[in-house]
Amino acid sequence: MNWHNVRLIWARETRDQLRDRRMLFMICVLPILLYPLLGTTFMQLAQFMRKHESTVLIVGAEQLRDAPTLPPLIENGRFAADLFAAPHEAQLLHVEEQSAEGKSEADVIAEGRRELIAGTADTVVYFPDGFAEKLARIHQRLQNREPADTVQSEPVEELKPIVLFHSPREASPVAKMRVDRAIDRWMAKIVERNLRESHVPINITQPFELESIDVAGREQKQAALYSKLLPFIVFLWALTGAFYPAVDLCAGEKERGTLEALLASPAQRSEIVWGKLLTVMLFSVFTALLNLASMGFTAAFVVRQMSAAVPGGASLFAMPPLISIFWIVLALLPISALFSALSLACAAFARSTKEGQYYFMPLFMITLPLMLAPMSPGTELNLGNSLIPVTGLSFLLRGLMEGDYQRVVPFVLPVVVVTLGCCWLAVRWAIELFNQESVLFRENERFELRAWLIHLVRDRKATPSVGAALACVAIIFLVKFFAGLALTSLPSEPHFGLLVQVVLITQLCIVVPALAMAFLFTRNPQQSLLLAGWPRPATLLAAVALAVAFFPVGLQVGEWIRQLYPIDMESLADSPFAQLLQSSPSLWKILLLMALLPAVCEELAFRGFVLSGLRHLGHKWWAIVLTAVLFGMAHTALLQQSLAAAVTGVLIGYIAVQSGHLAPCILFHFAYNGLSLTLGHWGERLTKLAESKPLFDQFFQPTHDRLQVFSPAVVVTGGLVTLALLWWFHRLDSPKSAEERLTEARLQPVQRPLAQDLS
Amino acid sequence: MLKDSARQADDSNPATVPVSGMIQALGLTKVYDDLRRGRFVALDRLTFDAQPGEVYGLLGPNGAGKTTALRILGTVLQPSFGSAQVNGFDCLTQPGMVRRQIGVISSNTAIYDRMSAWETVEYFGRLHGLDDHLLHGRMETIFRRLQMLEIRDLLGGKMSTGMKQKVSIARALVHDPPVLVFDEATSGLDVLAARTLLDTIQELREQGKCVVFSTHIMREAERLCDRIAILHRGRMLTEGGVDELRDKHGQSDLEELFFHLIRDAEDLAVASPHDYVWASQEAASLGTEFS
Repeated sequence: MNWHNVRLIWARETRDQLRDRRMLFMICVLPILLYPLLGTTFMQLAQFMRKHESTVLIVGAEQLRDAPTLPPLIENGRFAADLFAAPHEAQLLHVEEQSAEGKSEADVIAEGRRELIAGTADTVVYFPDGFAEKLARIHQRLQNREPADTVQSEPVEELKPIVLFHSPREASPVAKMRVDRAIDRWMAKIVERNLRESHVPINITQPFELESIDVAGREQKQAALYSKLLPFIVFLWALTGAFYPAVDLCAGEKERGTLEALLASPAQRSEIVWGKLLTVMLFSVFTALLNLASMGFTAAFVVRQMSAAVPGGASLFAMPPLISIFWIVLALLPISALFSALSLACAAFARSTKEGQYYFMPLFMITLPLMLAPMSPGTELNLGNSLIPVTGLSFLLRGLMEGDYQRVVPFVLPVVVVTLGCCWLAVRWAIELFNQESVLFRENERFELRAWLIHLVRDRKATPSVGAALACVAIIFLVKFFAGLALTSLPSEPHFGLLVQVVLITQLCIVVPALAMAFLFTRNPQQSLLLAGWPRPATLLAAVALAVAFFPVGLQVGEWIRQLYPIDMESLADSPFAQLLQSSPSLWKILLLMALLPAVCEELAFRGFVLSGLRHLGHKWWAIVLTAVLFGMAHTALLQQSLAAAVTGVLIGYIAVQSGHLAPCILFHFAYNGLSLTLGHWGERLTKLAESKPLFDQFFQPTHDRLQVFSPAVVVTGGLVTLALLWWFHRLDSPKSAEERLTEARLQPVQRPLAQDLS
Repeated sequence: MLKDSARQADDSNPATVPVSGMIQALGLTKVYDDLRRGRFVALDRLTFDAQPGEVYGLLGPNGAGKTTALRILGTVLQPSFGSAQVNGFDCLTQPGMVRRQIGVISSNTAIYDRMSAWETVEYFGRLHGLDDHLLHGRMETIFRRLQMLEIRDLLGGKMSTGMKQKVSIARALVHDPPVLVFDEATSGLDVLAARTLLDTIQELREQGKCVVFSTHIMREAERLCDRIAILHRGRMLTEGGVDELRDKHGQSDLEELFFHLIRDAEDLAVASPHDYVWASQEAASLGTEFS
């Protein structure tokens, strides 16, 4: 790669973007205007909300005025001022009174509903006829020192006033809340008076008060607030700031016709992508920082205003210290790089700026949950979280901003490795797209279903295309999902016959789409399913040996994954199907059902059809890893099992590529599943043996759950034999796709041709 | 039937004939997947060579495959089959080296709206690795020769079509390539601008450059080209010097010759499309699936 060219392209693209007034408005002017505008609007709204008066219609209030023994609820047409924490709050409730005389409860409710829906009242309070009288009677009995059971004989449920409100109208619940508070206080006053009349100390109803002390200092409290909020806002703007320049630099250039000249220049596609990526990244970082600064200044202004109005407001909201800003800027660099590369890849695919903008929403919807995850309560940084792209970095940033260095430092390495790894993958993806003329020169074509279906059959190639392979996986996902929905309605007590049905249906969901697509949409189904010719016998033996050697390593990897992302093994082992597997007397039936059938079906689909299609990407490792990831995802719904399956999938993919035939893959899969099932079936007996016989102790060691793993010596030996067998596969003369041959040819060193001397 | 026609096509395949020159195209074929037309053969085993100091013309109606052929030479597209070499470098496996040997001027490519003429040409010169001293000296010469000094600081978005085309030429010439490709470069130009461009091509020939020039305007081809190839539906119908072609086909006028050849080819294509266009199934059976 020529970094001189990268720098040139970066400088040109940056200058070009800086000369684009629309872009400057989006990136620079909008953030500067947005937050002050939002801040001012917020303050205006808050002011409006505070001063908004609620209208309360009180039906039957006249009886309260005539009861001298009750503390006053309404004075001078308003709620009594001493019923509120601040006397001016009474002014927020405008009271309208109505007599309850001659009205039944149903009448009042019907009339109240009409008033509320019409908006003439925000809430309606109804004191039933005789309410004050009953309260007065209780008071009288207390004064007469009547026994407690006589006082309690007054039917309390009939003393129930009713508050009507209309929840869809915003003003109504607010009014209800204010009225509730006033009536609660009024009720407390009545209780207080009654206690006093009964010569009972007031504190009898509240013998003690619970005191809570927050040990966090003021700065820590402030940090807890902004460390959750700021990473989300900054990451969100980093994505927005990356996307629009990316669309202009790729889709925009295609649309304007300037991309072809650049493609015909000596700059390699990777240099073009890097140059554009750095420009997009610059704008992403700049947008996020500008937003941060603008938001900071606006927040400082709003806080100052609010702290004047709300006591203690300033202690809640405060500007983060400089060190927090430093951590944000540091985290911005990798996250902007990731978002820039993703945006660039999406934009490279688009034919026009308009189409490019359509891709923003899917990208946003994928990244949003990752950005929001650290904000959910109770979540903390751990090794599992740290390995999730975006989320891990967000957690790390939160920890650093809170100053909790000791806890987060161990996770810096995994977060950095994952984030940079994702960046690298995204950049590679963008470069791949820039190398595909079908992407660069895509033309607008009206879609017709009939023409497309005819095209699929008429123009089919020997092996599936990349698109067909991905479509096959999508269909498998879809069919499996709906079949899964149907299977969940099965009876809760399964028997072996039902297990057979479930496994059979699941495997058919995987193999049928692949077989159908191979026969319908490829000219050579045998080649597409990697079944052309006969496999070399040595590869079959080596595949079985590899499965046996890799088995302890695979189990250990599974155990590490479970330690990383803990799984509820109890409920998993207690599932009816797991119990069936444990208790079933015939191992061979289980082997046929759970080892052979999946080995054939899953291999036909993934190492057969999908891998054949993905090899047109031009890089065998891309094809192997992508197939393994898709295999892991389709394999099971549990993330832990998916990860373990993906690791094994890489190995099987390599066998497929190197041997050029599916048979060794099926054998490996069968042997591996078979060993796993046998161990599960004999698990308890083996545990007992390991406990009693020292020889078994050398091979197995119990784990924290019911599963067994092999002892370190066995795992290491298995790993070494695996490596040796992989080396043997590596030395095989493997068939390559046309694209892989072209990639290899391009990697050959450039030789000065004879014609150069002649010219 | 299809196999037979393909075998005949293979026997008569000009790709088997060895050629030499600054540009060597051997059986260049480009097959596209098209939703309605199926596997569409845009370029059908095109073989030609062009020498230094020669203007080689590619003539043909719209959709004849001229732009596809020139895009393959410019390494922007990859051939489905066949190969092309520019100054000895392979277009498929050594695209980076090919791009250094070639300057492309096309009516399809635009110039940057937010960059001035000087900035645009300087940018491409630097991408070709020229140092500032050499680059600026060369740019001064080119700007003077193409009478571009007055638009030197004008932004691309404010230029007329003629001005933009001049910038495109300057951009293609700045690294002094031995091969220049003009793809319908006079399209949309007024008479004066077109004349300047044709004069420039003549100058380039005199300097010993190898020029490939595609057009559908006969007068331009007649005036400029040393040799001409007439393309129709991706296939080369005939090739040779202007006088040689007139004698060979018994036509005094190149335009008449062109009309007759295209009309006959069109009649043949309508009468038996499978025999005319290299059947897509046969193209696919060769095994390479880059398209």
